[in-house]
Amino acid sequence: MNKPVQGSLLHLSLTEAAAAVKDGSITSVALTTAALEAFSRVDKVINSSIWLEGAVALEAAEELDKKRKSGAKLGPLHGIPLAHKDMYYKAGKLSTCGSSIRKDFRPAYTATVIERLEEAGSVTLGGLNMAEFAQNPTGHNQHYGHCRNPWHPDYSTGGSSSGSGAAVAARLVYGALGSDTGGSIRLPASICGVTGIKPTQTRVSRYGVMPLSFSTDNVGPLTQTARDAARFMAVIAGHDPKDPTSAHEPVADYEAALTGDLSGMIIGVPTNYFFDGIDADVQAAFDQVVLVLKERGAVIIPVTIPHIDAIATYGGIVSRVEGGTIHGEWMRRRPQDYAVHLSGRLYPSQGIPAVYYVEGLARRGPILKAVGKEVFGLCHAFITPTLRKTVPTLLSTDIDAGTPGAIELFQDMSINTRPINYLGLPSVSVPCGLDPNGLPIGFQVQGRPFAEARILAIADAYQRDTDWHRRLPPNVS
Amino acid sequence: MSLRETVAVQAVTWTGISEPNDAAGAMADMLAFSIKGFAALRGELAFEDEPSSFEAALQETKEPTR
Repeated sequence: MNKPVQGSLLHLSLTEAAAAVKDGSITSVALTTAALEAFSRVDKVINSSIWLEGAVALEAAEELDKKRKSGAKLGPLHGIPLAHKDMYYKAGKLSTCGSSIRKDFRPAYTATVIERLEEAGSVTLGGLNMAEFAQNPTGHNQHYGHCRNPWHPDYSTGGSSSGSGAAVAARLVYGALGSDTGGSIRLPASICGVTGIKPTQTRVSRYGVMPLSFSTDNVGPLTQTARDAARFMAVIAGHDPKDPTSAHEPVADYEAALTGDLSGMIIGVPTNYFFDGIDADVQAAFDQVVLVLKERGAVIIPVTIPHIDAIATYGGIVSRVEGGTIHGEWMRRRPQDYAVHLSGRLYPSQGIPAVYYVEGLARRGPILKAVGKEVFGLCHAFITPTLRKTVPTLLSTDIDAGTPGAIELFQDMSINTRPINYLGLPSVSVPCGLDPNGLPIGFQVQGRPFAEARILAIADAYQRDTDWHRRLPPNVS
Repeated sequence: MSLRETVAVQAVTWTGISEPNDAAGAMADMLAFSIKGFAALRGELAFEDEPSSFEAALQETKEPTR
């Protein structure tokens, strides 16, 4: 198969590719070969992967093609090549967590989400680049090389699921697991121009997933389209006996909810916090989003998010303290093995009083209830920009290089995403424009707990009238 | 004593962790924003509030079944 044809295979969405495999017009081997070829060519620039197992993946793809020919029942991801943030455990396989400390770590057990994705017929290509221990919003990684934005390699990919965002944007894979503790799925989704969903807290099992913050960690996919995300979510969502914190809530038929019709849908736009200091280019892109959603039948209303100062304050403490706690032993014994920005970030949590941490957790439920009443009592969902600022360069956010102002920029990147983790709400980031530097802009849709179908329906309706999610970075063929 | 010095004493005293680099010290100084935030929230914690209420709130706040 020649290169242009292979390239076009990878331009299909996940659901389009799955349909083609199912009807026999494309083989899993062809898709997997195309993906591996694309990695070998493009990853020299963007560095989105940490390790790949091409031969193993091709062997799996051959078996899946045989299964299809046998007439056996096929899973919803049959034959689809995926790769995941390198923090999802698979027994005997490398899982570096983007770190030097775990550079040789091979877990003895497999994450439930990996089991579910492979049972659904997907092919796992390998582990994707990520922030060290999932703890930066920029894409920097001193140990495996910085991940670079496919739209321009001097710019941040967003993080911490940097490789997931970059690989999906560069059309190297049809989808990738990320994780989101303060924005780590939505930031790279927005910055790389793809769709990324952070599910409701407890919606997806975290068994076999590297921990960062047990109160705010979430597992979710980055994909080209909202429909792809719906397909992906249907496979990974649902209670897992191995993760007692996972919800027993039934899993909705996410794809069935994608009707394109927003008639009667009331969507809120916050009047406080989320637009403070916003860049004009981001505001302009967001204003166009509102117009598209109105055209689709939605009613747009202003809403005020209650307790926003508390949400921002507590949201900044809970995950830091939990991260600082689980990294305590390594911070004592081998602090030199962390990048400067990470040990710098973990360290101050040692000085935060436990009473403040408990206060943050204790008020979480009452504040969520207030948001439920005062926001979702008025609207079905609310939308905000994913980031307030246009995409920064890697250099401007490089704390390790000592760039002046990098710490402030670094911490501001998650200012619109982190509050959503504190509230535990589902949130999907959707591409909605390009800034003057040619880098993507995104907006995020939030719904009530377990309203993944609702927010994906809004994202899908928006994508029916726009093509930002279909646009390709320069030099992607 | 500066905030950076306070955190340094607290960290080494309670957890045996030393300031690893200047960036860590600078980030410790930035806890001033969090302290200001918590100070502004004093009096809002109710006596009966507790962490386990969050899972219940997720259920109570979810979208009504259509």
